[in-house]
Amino acid sequence: MTSLLTAPAHRLAALEAAARVPGGEQHILAALEDTAPSVRERAIRLAARYVEPAVLGELVADGENAVRRNAGLSALERQGPYAVPHLVAVLDRDDPELLLFALQSLSRIGFGSAGLAILPLLSHPDPNVAQAAIEAVGKLRVREAVPALCGLLQRDLWIQLAAIAALGEIGHPAAVAPLMAFVPDSVLAEPAVQALRRIAAPESLEPLLPLLLTVRERALRDPLLLAVAVVIELHPDPEGPASGVARDMEANGGDLVVYLGQLLTAVPEDGDAEEAESLLRAAATLVAATGLAELHPVLLARLSADPVARWIEGLLARFPERLAPRLHALLTHADPDVRCGALRVGSFGPGDLPLLVEHLSDPRLAVRTAACLALGRMGLDPVAPLLLERLRRGEPPEQAAAAQGLARLSPEALRELDGCLEPGMAEPVVVEALAVLTRTTVPALEPRVLQLAESPSAAVRLAALRAAARFTAAKAEVVLLRALADRHQPIQTEALELLVRRGGDRAVTMLVAMLGTADSLRFHVIRALGHCRAPSAASRLRSLYPECGPLEQLQIVWSLLRIAPPWLSEFLLLRLVDQDLDMRRAAAQGLSEVACFDHLPVLLAMAEDPDWDIRNSAARGLGRLGGAEARTALLTLARDVESVVAATARAALELPTRDASPSAV
Amino acid sequence: MTSFQPADLKLLGDLIQERFGLTFEGVRQDILGSRLRPRLRELRLDSPRAYYEYLRFHPRGDAEFDRLPALITNNETYFFRETRQFEILIEHVLPERRPAAPSRPLRLLSAGCSSGEEPYSLAIALHDAGLPPAARSWEIDACDLNPERIARAREALYDETSLRACDPESRRRYFSVEGGRFRLKDRYRVGVRFFQSNLLAPGFALDRPYDVILCRNLLIYFGDAAFDRLIGLFASALVPGGYLFLGHSESLFDRDTELLPVVVGGSVVYRKTAKP
Repeated sequence: MTSLLTAPAHRLAALEAAARVPGGEQHILAALEDTAPSVRERAIRLAARYVEPAVLGELVADGENAVRRNAGLSALERQGPYAVPHLVAVLDRDDPELLLFALQSLSRIGFGSAGLAILPLLSHPDPNVAQAAIEAVGKLRVREAVPALCGLLQRDLWIQLAAIAALGEIGHPAAVAPLMAFVPDSVLAEPAVQALRRIAAPESLEPLLPLLLTVRERALRDPLLLAVAVVIELHPDPEGPASGVARDMEANGGDLVVYLGQLLTAVPEDGDAEEAESLLRAAATLVAATGLAELHPVLLARLSADPVARWIEGLLARFPERLAPRLHALLTHADPDVRCGALRVGSFGPGDLPLLVEHLSDPRLAVRTAACLALGRMGLDPVAPLLLERLRRGEPPEQAAAAQGLARLSPEALRELDGCLEPGMAEPVVVEALAVLTRTTVPALEPRVLQLAESPSAAVRLAALRAAARFTAAKAEVVLLRALADRHQPIQTEALELLVRRGGDRAVTMLVAMLGTADSLRFHVIRALGHCRAPSAASRLRSLYPECGPLEQLQIVWSLLRIAPPWLSEFLLLRLVDQDLDMRRAAAQGLSEVACFDHLPVLLAMAEDPDWDIRNSAARGLGRLGGAEARTALLTLARDVESVVAATARAALELPTRDASPSAV
Repeated sequence: MTSFQPADLKLLGDLIQERFGLTFEGVRQDILGSRLRPRLRELRLDSPRAYYEYLRFHPRGDAEFDRLPALITNNETYFFRETRQFEILIEHVLPERRPAAPSRPLRLLSAGCSSGEEPYSLAIALHDAGLPPAARSWEIDACDLNPERIARAREALYDETSLRACDPESRRRYFSVEGGRFRLKDRYRVGVRFFQSNLLAPGFALDRPYDVILCRNLLIYFGDAAFDRLIGLFASALVPGGYLFLGHSESLFDRDTELLPVVVGGSVVYRKTAKP
């Protein structure tokens, strides 16, 4: 009980100090039973790192002390792949409780290679062990278990339930037919449908769809709809199976239509928001795929009225033929939300132009805005004057939509945009017009754009710079370079980004020259040179390094990593012994990306560094190199006290095995 | 949208924990990433590691630290949230505490008060229970890490979302409309004092004793060590027999503390052991 005499913070510090010295194991094991959760949690991490699986296994086997058992289990799980051989060996034991814990640990560790060792336990005489084994093969997604699991579907209820869930998790289409046998007339119908939803096999669509017409109880109808929707989403060609049931739905689906209509108009409330959203999406998917005409207006109205329902556009775009025959009727619908939705999703041709133009004078702003977008999607130059008019005189959403639409037209049609860029034009019009020119290059407007880059308005200058960046001529580059000295900091950094995107020797030369000025822009210049991947800047960056403050020094490391000069490893090795921890971390990360076999000793030393971030970089680097030595180090890192390091090491261990030798690297 | 490296998020999370005690481990790392993504975009930084370096070394790093709490914590609060605890306070706790402090006002602290909805709701509840501050029967202190939220609390001007649990009668009675927003009437602001503080700053101590501390839905942000420190701070600041109210999802179960759980009015609250 001495642990209770000091505060948790002191006990934690004492544990940290004792854990890594000889005899530390006893301190760690004692701390697994500490009264404070913070101390226990730390002891578990240390146990995972410093205590062997066999010792932890003894804690797990101690049926008398639940605290020790749970702590031992947690530590084993944290050891991950390091503990797997021990846990697999336990699977040969007779003690059902030990088997249970081993199975649970293996499934939580999630190391798939253990899966085959579990197969013999699927039909273990102890039902608890059998159930744990079934759950484990499900979690580990052991495909080889599918035939045996299908065989277990005829056993008692708990085994059936576990097998159904496992089949769903494994996701093999061979399970579709055995699972369909439970639907709809069985107490296992709902879990079977949930499993079918997880499997989402195309072959389940045909048998599932007609059930929507006959099953009316919400308890089963909801999961059925969710399953159908997922299968449709992942089906390569769902329209064939959907067509058959669409006719039945039109003829006899009154009740189903009411149900879907309710879901499409439901307003999610706090308690059921997630479920309502899933059902809404599922109902929309079904309506879109089957083309259920009665519900198209409801779906389009939802698209217009619900600001987070933009996904409906993509959904309807997947099934354009379903909507096309009714598009004209929907465009003249009395409900403006429906008209707006139809404009947003419709695919229009030249013959539709008069109808679309009518909508430009609709009393509702949202409809007019959608009409601008629809006209733009047509991509026909003759609509340019209409969109230009909206750009000049429309409300802000119309202006933005008109600009978006104009950007799809040809440069010839956009010459008229000049009128929107004239002096005296309202600033929002000028900015939107320039936004068009950031998407489409109109050579005839270059002089005007470059002139606007000198505008007194920061918003106009910024928009003009973005448009100017599209022009290839030297004049445009001069404008961008000049903007590096703009009085407005965001414009400076934008100019830098635009120059980086343009690339080119001239910009790099200019940026290298700017390294000589130690102002706040230099950090961005260093970064920009990295993004340019400019080899000609590498030496200058290296020589600048000693003159800089820590932030710029770190940025030099990151930029050199992108440029990758031949002397990079040598540079990073020098930084790895820096006094400053953040610089060592940056160097370690760099080495993890560029180290070759010659650097294996460096990476092995990094793997034992006191700093977790450096160990994490070591794990990444060792994973890249591969080989026996690297693997041994990774097995230790896979049970690191820091979860992030352990996870990186585990991911590295799962990389394809390589032969690490000088010739192989 | 590219996902952030877990190591980068941990690096930043460790810095935040060291500075503010707020923890972002496990799934909360993703929350940290999603909350900071817009800010990184604004600063044109491409990773949480770059943001970490900005915070540590950029000349504007300190200013960035000041705005960080507002970016990463949820200021989700509203008037009259979980009012059952106010009822317990008024019906059971204050009558019990009153005789222990006959010559001074009862002192209450709202820790992590965000933009003031909780302490003002408490003030309103005390008014409605016939305990106006003019009688000097109580004082409410309220603190938050974020200076912007403290400024908003002092301004006492709220949007519709802060009044989502208010019926029309409550709106009319406690607020006046100002340009489409709602100003708390002056009489409910009297007796409530706001101050900005980082409760986990090294050496920080509350400068006076309290009869009741409300710290609701704040501890969920803290790791074990910070949690223990904060509870230790509250235990020191409470008078013997004083009470701590936590949020519904928070508890002191399995903690070494002199604050003991007691059931009052059907709810669990924590009481500091009285002097023998």
